[in-house]
Amino acid sequence: MRLLLVEDDRMIGESLQRTLRLEGFAVDWVRDAAAADGTLASERFDLVLLDLGLPRGGAAGGPADGLEVLRAMRARRDPTPVIVLTARDARGDRVAGLDAGADDYIVKPFEFDELAARIRAVLRRHAGRAEPVLSQGGVTLDPAQRRVTLHGSPVLLSAREYAVLEALMARPGAVLSRAQLEDRLYGWGEEIESNAVSVYIHQLRKKLGADFIRNVRGVGYFIDAGDPQAR
Amino acid sequence: MNSLRLRLLVTLVGLLALAAAAMAAITYHNVLGESEALFDYQLQQMALSLRDQGEIDRAQADTLADEQLDFVIQIWTVDGRSIYASRPHASLPARALLGLATLNVDGRAWRTFGVATRERVIQVAQPVEIRQRLAAHAAWRSVLPLLLTTPFAALAIWWLAARNLAPLDRLAHEVRSRDARSLAPVPTGDLPDELAPLASALNALLARLGSSLDSQRAFVADAAHELRSPLTALKLQLELLRRADDAETREAAREAIGEGIARATRLVEQLLALARSEPDAVLPVERVDLAAVCRKTMDETRAFADSRSVTIALVADEPSVVTGDAVALGLLVRNLVDNAVRYSPPGSRVEVRIREDGGQIVLDVDDSGPGIPDSERERVFDRFYRRSEATESGSGLGLAIVRSVGNAHRATIRLGRSALGGLQVSVAFPAPP
Repeated sequence: MRLLLVEDDRMIGESLQRTLRLEGFAVDWVRDAAAADGTLASERFDLVLLDLGLPRGGAAGGPADGLEVLRAMRARRDPTPVIVLTARDARGDRVAGLDAGADDYIVKPFEFDELAARIRAVLRRHAGRAEPVLSQGGVTLDPAQRRVTLHGSPVLLSAREYAVLEALMARPGAVLSRAQLEDRLYGWGEEIESNAVSVYIHQLRKKLGADFIRNVRGVGYFIDAGDPQAR
Repeated sequence: MNSLRLRLLVTLVGLLALAAAAMAAITYHNVLGESEALFDYQLQQMALSLRDQGEIDRAQADTLADEQLDFVIQIWTVDGRSIYASRPHASLPARALLGLATLNVDGRAWRTFGVATRERVIQVAQPVEIRQRLAAHAAWRSVLPLLLTTPFAALAIWWLAARNLAPLDRLAHEVRSRDARSLAPVPTGDLPDELAPLASALNALLARLGSSLDSQRAFVADAAHELRSPLTALKLQLELLRRADDAETREAAREAIGEGIARATRLVEQLLALARSEPDAVLPVERVDLAAVCRKTMDETRAFADSRSVTIALVADEPSVVTGDAVALGLLVRNLVDNAVRYSPPGSRVEVRIREDGGQIVLDVDDSGPGIPDSERERVFDRFYRRSEATESGSGLGLAIVRSVGNAHRATIRLGRSALGGLQVSVAFPAPP
């Protein structure tokens, strides 16, 4: 899962980016409204963590703070889910954030576990699912626990293998290209190992069965949506 | 006796009593004088008509018959034999004095008039106390109405006082209903002229209290808000440390926590410094050598400047004396120099200069940093204001502290362009008296 973190405070941004990476997210971090606006207009993310109290950063005319970044996103019909991070806990601010199109908000200072849970919940709702556990062809994936089972017995996966599997299982039947998968695996500045995606797919097939992940040559990978009987 | 009402009552009743007493005394004195003249005349007339006609005039017969007036007539022969006494009075003088006289006989005063013919001596006498009794009676009658109306007057005063003091009670009630949450001004519309100044003074005080409370509340809210950021960072850094699974990440997390604590500590220190330098704080006023303050403060900042490869230099004539508080002035210099160093590029120079200008002592701090555009020069003094272009994470309080200390010293602060290319802050202190 690829997140965009928009936060002007260096210490908060740094530690949040690192902790989220340890959680298996690919995290990009920008520090002002103009950078957030530009990045969101040109790249695709699974979720945005947006601080409201942002410096403008760019020339006048661009968004002046987090709320305006959010409004601009929704104005160009960008459906990417947004969680607002705010130090303003006045009710008016929370209402303004939600009304501007935020999916959830969290007030600083927050517990990281709570933020992680909210990220999972928003991603789940955004994918149109109510149940927290993904399940397909005998494989279950629990994002909260980061636990994967095959026919009930736990399967050990590395963080990157887990990320690839999560991306594929989130939209069964949809084909994801190698580039799309790489996007979800790596933030900016992270060195992309050559052929990494093929290696992870290979590992996953070994652990979950050769047929579980299908290949469309030259296009990408997908998981068979299958019929309900197979579950 | 602290009650206005009681004081008013006692004073007015006392004045009434005094007036009554004065009235009585004057009446007594006047009536006594009149009755003396009248009765002396009667004495004379009786004695003379006895001498000349051998009998009492008709006009005086009634007077003589009035026992209340107690006239006594005595007649003696020339050789002293008493031949007539209208009423025997044991204590009357046995021998007459000719003309008007006042005699004391056995402790009783008598007024007498004596006349002599060839054969007889005639004396008419009257006790003096009769006249005094008459005068006293007249005096009593004259003050009686006043005495009778006094209780009613007292009641009326009591009631009027209560009525006129009612606005005071209402004002007290209004003031009592005020507290830290409701400092609305008390209504002054229907107050009498004597109370209106008190109410206006109260309202002015309430307004001052209110704005002081508001700024305190805003300060506390701002402070709490500002503390959220370092606390959020600390929580995340701690979480990172907890989750770190290799030595390198752990070390980085530990370092980050150290930085986070230093940042929170600095913010709290700056908040305290600002609270202490607020304009209503009491600053000791003494003669302070500003140059010495700068030298001491810059020695403390040198390590920070070295860590950024910035040189700091002081140009000053010593001593440069201003009036104020050395600790607060140190805080002002500290924040100016810290800011200058923080925003200066490595290898550059920060200059602190003290000069005299038209009797004022002026402190200049120059740097070669990015400076502050005109549009932001007012707002940078607001607490927690951070310039959006700022790349350094300061507390947002430095210039607020500078302004607060400056105000407390009646100094004027000016931001300008420095010859070094960056910002110049000039603080002009009034000359010491």
